[in-house]
Amino acid sequence: MAISVKVMRRPEPGRTSYMRATLKGMSLTFKHLVRLKKVTLEYPEDQPDLHPRWRGTHRMEVHADGRPKCVACGLCPTVCPANCIRLVGGEDDQGNRYPIVYEIDEFRCIFCGMCQEVCPVEAIHVGQHFENAEYTRDRFVYDLDRLMEQDHPTTLLWDPSDPRSE
Amino acid sequence: MPDNGRKADTVTLTIDGREVTVPKGTSLLHAAEGLGVEVPHYCYHPGLSAPAQCRICLVEVEGAPKLQPSCVTMAEDGQVVHTESPSAVRMRKGVLEFYLVNHPLDCPICDMSGECMLQDYVFEEGREKGRSREPKRVFGRDDFGGDVLFYGDRCVMCTRCVRFMDEVARDPRLTVVERGSRAVIDTFFEHGLEGASYAGNIVDICPVGALVSKDFLHKARAWDLDHTESICPGCSQGCNIELHTRDNLVQRLKPRENQEVNGHWMCDYGRANYEWMNHPGRLEEPEVGRGNDRRPADWQEALASLFQRLSDAGGAGVRIVGSPLASNEALAGLAALGGEVGSIEACVFRSPRAPDEDPLPGFPTLVRRRDLAPNVDGAGILGFERVGGDDAAGGLREVAGHDGIILVLGDELRDQSEDFGAAASLFVYLGTADSPAARNADFVLPVTTFAEEEGSFVNVLGRVQRFRQGLQAPGYARPAWLVLGALVGALRGDGTPASAADAFERMAEAHAAFAGLTWEAIGTSGTRLEAAHA
Repeated sequence: MAISVKVMRRPEPGRTSYMRATLKGMSLTFKHLVRLKKVTLEYPEDQPDLHPRWRGTHRMEVHADGRPKCVACGLCPTVCPANCIRLVGGEDDQGNRYPIVYEIDEFRCIFCGMCQEVCPVEAIHVGQHFENAEYTRDRFVYDLDRLMEQDHPTTLLWDPSDPRSE
Repeated sequence: MPDNGRKADTVTLTIDGREVTVPKGTSLLHAAEGLGVEVPHYCYHPGLSAPAQCRICLVEVEGAPKLQPSCVTMAEDGQVVHTESPSAVRMRKGVLEFYLVNHPLDCPICDMSGECMLQDYVFEEGREKGRSREPKRVFGRDDFGGDVLFYGDRCVMCTRCVRFMDEVARDPRLTVVERGSRAVIDTFFEHGLEGASYAGNIVDICPVGALVSKDFLHKARAWDLDHTESICPGCSQGCNIELHTRDNLVQRLKPRENQEVNGHWMCDYGRANYEWMNHPGRLEEPEVGRGNDRRPADWQEALASLFQRLSDAGGAGVRIVGSPLASNEALAGLAALGGEVGSIEACVFRSPRAPDEDPLPGFPTLVRRRDLAPNVDGAGILGFERVGGDDAAGGLREVAGHDGIILVLGDELRDQSEDFGAAASLFVYLGTADSPAARNADFVLPVTTFAEEEGSFVNVLGRVQRFRQGLQAPGYARPAWLVLGALVGALRGDGTPASAADAFERMAEAHAAFAGLTWEAIGTSGTRLEAAHA
């Protein structure tokens, strides 16, 4: 095949200048530099506002005398889709049914909140809490004492400002 | 002639628009059941009399002035019955509302929750909200003695328990005291149900959570339990039962209806006798070598070297110790193995015996038998001979010092010394737990309990009855019929039985008593052996 040379014409100087695009870009940059609206949340100094139905790690409600409200009915392990609740029921010295073992594996949990929804005595709740860092993995299996110690606000089943989810 | 007879004995009626023909004397409730229509009922139980006092089985019968209790109204020719008519539904709704006036609705902490007839019926057709504003009367809970706990608040006063103790146990220890809304079930004396050997049945027949088992209290939720059809291993009566299991543990035993054996009932001895099925400390892998040379092996290695030893045995005398806890298939496999490798000189088993029988007066077929093991009769049919005392000890002197081949299946040899089988040329021990007397065994092979395998037992009435697998076996334990079947199959060259059904068929070929029977024919409720030959 014969070799030929294709001659490319240089565009007009006015159309090759980068000045216009640079100024346009810089103007946007400087506009943001002086704009006052802040998007970044300065966590942890500033805490985020959590939605009332925001679902985080669990909390067990307690009676005034310090007993857990749970009656070990077994509905939460039954309804739990992630199978993360282990419950062994028993009877205390006053003849009340109570959980001898109540463990939630927060790693397995998918935070669907069905345990709270199904609980007939409003004992187990998901909470408005997300700061869960631990040094070891086994610390993420919350036992009954740990669940009772939690003091973060619990999740509401519906938004009070929008009770019918409209 | 038979045609005429049949015509006179049956009636045809219409229930909910469908025609059904039933024998004369059938209650409407039963006739409806045959059509798959469940009429709610509390006081009626097929094993008891029907006082028609719970008033929830009322149905509309065309022509009758009022709703009729279906449990005591007998079916008649040409009757037209409506179980779902507006008046019947309205009445049930009203009756259920009355039941809930004093019921505590403590389903979350009630052991019956999930299998409660009140829960079911109220959920199906009860009112959404009760209208009673009065405070509920409170009785609290009462220890009735034995294994029974009574929660008076939950009671619906069906009096099934009173009638059971009266009519079936013939030991009237319960009664209704007070009247009206204060009526409550109570015992006559302080000792209550203590010592009554069939009282556990009142927990089964209680339609609500008023009578609960202390043993099962708070142990598991009804919906978590897996039910497996099985046979009670407590005595040679062979009551049909269900194993209720959860987390690979037996949680409780419940009777399963079989009118030929146990009706709806079972004894408290059998009911309480399940902890051993969950027992830890089981043999989990095959071991080979005697005494200090004992080492673990895998099945392949153990069976291959055992097969070699058996092939080389060359007609030595074989003495066999079986167990009345082992299935027919396992015992037949053991006998077949003995016959294959040499000449059987002794074929024995030992079984504990109670001093007396314990019948259920209202259902004479059901007796807690003297033999406290499920397959004493099966072992007898398969050629095993009972030795030893009533405590299942002794009687093995001839086996212990034998210098030929010793095969032991299931017997833990608790009373035997460490010298057991020391002189034997080959000693094979198949068991669920290790034993000091198995020290000289050349092969220790872990086998499953009846709860972990399929198989069959023959009960004292000559019924062969199947049981199914309810638990997973621990470790590498395998059913004895499989282990023995593999060895026999290898020696004969006809392969390993593929299933318990296959093992049963091989047994039926070898033992005339089982000839002609198939696994399917035995079914879930068993067959009489004599009947199979008639």
